[in-house]
Amino acid sequence: MKRKLLLASFLFIAIQLVYGQGRVVSGKVTAEDGSSVPGVNVLVKGTSTGAITDLDGNYRINVTDDAVLVFSFIGFETQEVAVGSRSIIDVSLAESLQQLSEVIVVGYGTSRKEQLTGSIAVVEADKIAQIPTPTFQEALQGSTPGLQVVAQDGAPGAGVAIRVRGIGSINASNDPLYVIDGIPITAAADGISTSDFDNDGRSANPLAALSSNDIESIVVLKDAASTAIYGSRGANGVVLITTKSGKKGQAKVDINTRIGFSDFAFNNLLEPINEAQYRQLYVEGKVNAGDFATEAEALDLYEQQFPEAFAGEADTDWLEEMTQIGVTQQYDVSVSGGTDNLTYYVSGGYFGQEGTVVNNKFERYSTRINLTVRATDKLTISNNLSLSYFDQRGITDGTRWQAPFYLAYLMSPAVPVFDDQGRYYGDHASFYMGGNNPVGHLHDDKREREQSRIIDNFSVAYEVIDGLTVKSAWSFDILNIDDFIYGNPRYGDQRNVGGQSQEATVDQLNWLGTQTVNYSTTLADMHNLDVLVGYEAQKITTDQVDVVREGLPHPTITGVSAGANPDPPSFTSRSESSFSSYFSRINYDYNQKYFASFSVRADGSSRFGPDERWGTFWSVGGGYAISEESFMQGVAVVDYLKLRISYGVTGNASLDDDNVDTDNNYIWAQAYGFNNIAYDGVPGGIPQLIGNRLLTWESQENFNVAVDFTGFNRRLNGTIEYFVRTSSDLILNRPLSRTTGFESQPSNIGDMENRGWEISANGDVLEISDFTLNIGGNITFIENEITRLDEPIVDGTKRREEGRDFQEYYLYGWAGVDPADGSKLWYTDETKTEVTKDRSDAERFYDGKSATPDFFGAFNLVASWRAFTLSTQFNYQFGNYVYDSPGWVIHGDGRFTPRSTSKWAFENRWTTPGQEALFPQHKWGNRDGVSTQQNQDRYLFEGDYIRMRTLSLSYDLPTSLIGRAKVRNARVSILLNNYFTWVKDDDLHFDPEQTINGNYNTVTPINKTITFALNVGI
Amino acid sequence: MKVLNKYIVLVILAMFGYSCGDDFLDLKPPLNVADDQFLLTLDDYNGAIAGAYDLLQDPDLYGRYFILIPDIMGNDVKQNASANRGADWAAYGGGATTTQQENREFIERYYQVINAANAIINREFTPPSGFEDQYNQVVGEAHALRALAHFDLVRLFGQHYTFTTDASHLGMPVVLEFDPEARPVRNTVGEVYNQVVQDLQDAIGLMTIDKSDKGNAGSVTREAAQALLSRVYLYMEDWDNAETQATSVINSGIYSLVDSAGYPNQFLDGNSPESIFEIVFSATDNVGSDHIGGMYKSTGYGDYLPSQDLLDLFQAGDVRSTMFSLDPNLDGGIYASADGLGRRVDKYPSSGASIATDNVPVIRLSEVYLIRAEARAKKASPDDVGALADLNMVHMRSVPSGTPYAGLSGQALIDEILRERKRELCFEGHGIFDITRNGLDLVRVDCTAPAEVCTVTYPDDRFILAIHQDELDANPNMVQNPSY
Repeated sequence: MKRKLLLASFLFIAIQLVYGQGRVVSGKVTAEDGSSVPGVNVLVKGTSTGAITDLDGNYRINVTDDAVLVFSFIGFETQEVAVGSRSIIDVSLAESLQQLSEVIVVGYGTSRKEQLTGSIAVVEADKIAQIPTPTFQEALQGSTPGLQVVAQDGAPGAGVAIRVRGIGSINASNDPLYVIDGIPITAAADGISTSDFDNDGRSANPLAALSSNDIESIVVLKDAASTAIYGSRGANGVVLITTKSGKKGQAKVDINTRIGFSDFAFNNLLEPINEAQYRQLYVEGKVNAGDFATEAEALDLYEQQFPEAFAGEADTDWLEEMTQIGVTQQYDVSVSGGTDNLTYYVSGGYFGQEGTVVNNKFERYSTRINLTVRATDKLTISNNLSLSYFDQRGITDGTRWQAPFYLAYLMSPAVPVFDDQGRYYGDHASFYMGGNNPVGHLHDDKREREQSRIIDNFSVAYEVIDGLTVKSAWSFDILNIDDFIYGNPRYGDQRNVGGQSQEATVDQLNWLGTQTVNYSTTLADMHNLDVLVGYEAQKITTDQVDVVREGLPHPTITGVSAGANPDPPSFTSRSESSFSSYFSRINYDYNQKYFASFSVRADGSSRFGPDERWGTFWSVGGGYAISEESFMQGVAVVDYLKLRISYGVTGNASLDDDNVDTDNNYIWAQAYGFNNIAYDGVPGGIPQLIGNRLLTWESQENFNVAVDFTGFNRRLNGTIEYFVRTSSDLILNRPLSRTTGFESQPSNIGDMENRGWEISANGDVLEISDFTLNIGGNITFIENEITRLDEPIVDGTKRREEGRDFQEYYLYGWAGVDPADGSKLWYTDETKTEVTKDRSDAERFYDGKSATPDFFGAFNLVASWRAFTLSTQFNYQFGNYVYDSPGWVIHGDGRFTPRSTSKWAFENRWTTPGQEALFPQHKWGNRDGVSTQQNQDRYLFEGDYIRMRTLSLSYDLPTSLIGRAKVRNARVSILLNNYFTWVKDDDLHFDPEQTINGNYNTVTPINKTITFALNVGI
Repeated sequence: MKVLNKYIVLVILAMFGYSCGDDFLDLKPPLNVADDQFLLTLDDYNGAIAGAYDLLQDPDLYGRYFILIPDIMGNDVKQNASANRGADWAAYGGGATTTQQENREFIERYYQVINAANAIINREFTPPSGFEDQYNQVVGEAHALRALAHFDLVRLFGQHYTFTTDASHLGMPVVLEFDPEARPVRNTVGEVYNQVVQDLQDAIGLMTIDKSDKGNAGSVTREAAQALLSRVYLYMEDWDNAETQATSVINSGIYSLVDSAGYPNQFLDGNSPESIFEIVFSATDNVGSDHIGGMYKSTGYGDYLPSQDLLDLFQAGDVRSTMFSLDPNLDGGIYASADGLGRRVDKYPSSGASIATDNVPVIRLSEVYLIRAEARAKKASPDDVGALADLNMVHMRSVPSGTPYAGLSGQALIDEILRERKRELCFEGHGIFDITRNGLDLVRVDCTAPAEVCTVTYPDDRFILAIHQDELDANPNMVQNPSY
């Protein structure tokens, strides 16, 4: 009843507007199918006089004879009609294909773009296809503001780190939740396998299972209005991946083939020194260290240690020996189509990549069958099934022996690659780098992962009455990982133990049951209501087995069982976590002008103690399509203008406590631990978990306000958005006095805030006959601040302190090299007024430098002319600093005898009194009375960069040519990725993009790739 | 069809009715037992004390660094060119920093041992009738391990007992019960020693099961506690009590010195007749090159080499001088021995398949003889004859062809006993402690460390380690050692 009153009053107002003018014109507005269209704006062109059609599509309006009426409504072509002498003007509006709003996948459903009150970004399939790596996540780079997407590692199949609107947590995960066709799936590589294969998660990626060719769209949910439906897992944003489905019609076959060639993208990578330079450093360093009085004496020792080099038989460029041009090949076939009752999408694909490091490879085989059966008008059953297998051959990275981009500079060029028997050289075992031969390890050792993954989503939906759908979805994700790592017995780290072989497997079953009821209706033609209620249960069971043996009997035997000696004893674990959740969402709009949404989710999680197990998360959002108001009809430049606002609370239950050697699922418990605790044959336990029954999820308040606009005949669109993301109850390991027998206790003790602006715009700048040019871009400004933290926490290069940016560096201040004697100088404190040669007299301090960029984003350009399309995207980031973690070793000025260094250091070292030098005097054992040279701002660089992410040129073969061959379409393209990079800092010698937390850690450099692609549709 | 549709609706609606009960969220960890569900049976106690020993096995404690670091801070070893692990202590550069990881690990790991022992000692438990001895044995072992942990901590982080006349200088916190909120102050060295003595006496009073009942020397027994107590008294310069405790052990008749032929293998095989308490390393504990042996062997990290200072102390025919292997890669140059040959420490020789299975001695009968010899030579009215007899027990079994020491007294006798300690106990973690408690300068003649630390004059703040910064940050009551 109330609703009718409301309606009546609106109509009354409309009628009021109409009165008071001379002549009245009336009529009815219908759609092409003859149905009446309510709510159409009717405007006298050039005036502010307007009316709105009523429920039956009728309107009345005051006009003059020369008036022109403009009829406009969302989803229809705008139509202008000259009044002339007519008094009744009926209009039939044509539906606008262009204006019909996009349907966007959101959590547990879909939405039309205008209906959204939250912040959502969509990446379409064509963008995803431009990525030359097996991981679709890179397609998100630059796609939307607020998203930082970092390909941390250039190795094939490596991980990608994504941060949605900054860092929301200190210790728990900062990764978004990944949901594929409705299933929240395991995405993080770190910690899933007990082996070292993934290099702390950098080098592996469980999501590489998914063929990007099968992806229809990727949707990123950024604010509470869109993520609260995911409750305790929504705090870091949600990435929804929807796979392709068939459409009614003839079978369409698509064949894609591509081949690509890769090299390092960044041109200013460190170069190693040659043997002559190394020899010079060697003798110079010995004399400087006081080991020998003269270089001639030092040379005798050089001869003893490096006989081959002394004889002129070794001058190794380790970097050159380990690297190559990478080759990528990809072949995909898919067929899709359907009848009234059945639609299908079936695909198979191969992706193979040879990395830029010798023997670093990735090969994937994948298939997918997506079927939807409309059994009756009301009953729909669908099943999406994907199977994939990949085989990855990795490398060690980081500051560890055998890591190619570490040893490339530390291994002496005086060590030959091969010995005189033609084997990889290992005779330096007793005095040099553990006898590691980084080239040999790439050939003689093994470091392999096989991953099989089956993801299936089965659902039954039944439309009980019009608009009321009951749906039951049952999904599972079976993930199997098998890592095999072998170190040969002759040289390198494993020679000590007679070779080592390891097999580590993970079996993970993730099942999910989701039951929903959805009711969607339009009341009185104006009130659109969509209600969702659901229950969901999820359980993840992870089984791990890890066996290692040492002492292998024969150089060609690598099987674990052949080893004599278990080390450590076999590890097995079966760990479980479960969620039980109730959720609901209500979306309402009035005549597509006023929008409201409300969502709530109650989550129970096994990861917390019985007292803190349940939490409730919620959001409210509102939208106001200002452009649909009649008073806006006269503003010709505006096609659509909408204000959105949302607020809500989400949670972060992704505990990621790598300081405790235990299962992250149980850190709340106070308990004895029994993992491989045995002494002299007696099994035992130790007090291991300090526990915290009060531990609960981190929660996050999200505020979001935005304006969306479309204008200039829809040639320009954009969004301006402001957000505040306040994390509270952050889980931190509260440091304890170690005299308690524990180093810390997990506790909810911190708050943090991220706030910022996101601006994006896109315009069809030129449309001249066959030529169109579209330019777009986005920018994100973000500020981070820790708002509550009782005690500062020093964490490597940074210190977390209340009132400061989470990623602000806290380092010793490097004051350069003393020209008088080539010694190192540090500032004593933050005033930078005094310098000292003894670093123990210096303090670490903040210098206003952070790993958080001031702003970042992307800009892109798409030009098309006839059958040619050229598109390019640039990414940029400004104001952040990056830290060279291995710097203190590679550029240790002789700290580690007798390791080599880079050409940059060699050429810029101090040698003569009075010389202004970048690097100090080279001196073996150069410790200057202090232990470590880490955490100095000497190794900190400006991280500002601009990178041409993609440049693609494609040509669609003309139908006249291909039609005869019954080919639907054929496209050839050339794709360049990362072909151009600008950095601000000339002294930066590693790729600026390879770190999400600012610490570069000797990973494989990012590639630039040139790809040739052919797509054929039949 | 309509009927079918109704059923479908009913089935789907029924799925809503299904929701998982509370037990769906109540999952048990696979490798953990809640504290209040443990230490309820005698088996639990056996598991808990095994856990405490397991903690001592760690490469940061008896597995490696507690054995290595006192020696590389002394003059029995020199750094190899590749020395990295622990090099900062050897060079007196890194003990110097308050952020050296092992300075933190020592604190954390030893207090884990103490915490494990406290749980055993403090929990109320009535053993089943007839099993009192077993229960008391476990509690006694816990007391002994708590004593050992405190004793090791106070030696690493505090100056020796007689550094001040009343032992009032900084020791380490004595922790006797678990309190997660505790921020303890540092007890004085005297207070720590008092607790160590008390715990060892309690242990001696509780334990009745000896090495022969146990079957090996892998755990603490009454005699092991007495032997450790004699060492504690030696450090306290309580010569009479040191002698008394040592005599109890020697007279127990449970132990005997192995002969010279069997000497080299006692570490490899373990459980020799002279072993009183050792940490057992078996293939399943395998720590690989992180075992103490890996620090010396060319097949391990090989970071440290025997110094000529030590090699010069051995007479011809001393079986102990055979416990070095030659390494041609080190021939010539500063890392070789005086004869130009490269040498490696081979006291912990396990290799290949059985690598890192050498047991690590905590205390052996030969040390108890040398403790008694030193106590007898130093006590108020020295017993030079007794001291010489003890010295010769150790000397003659290693040099059967040699001549017994005779006619030594006073400082000459003491010096010979201290030299014998080096010959006998080198690479077993006594190096710097024996130097500082005797008030000696550290003198390294064959020295590959930076020149300024080839001689360090007694006393020096750097003879003890820095409290790690993390502990200072977490515990405002913790005081740093001077000069750090």
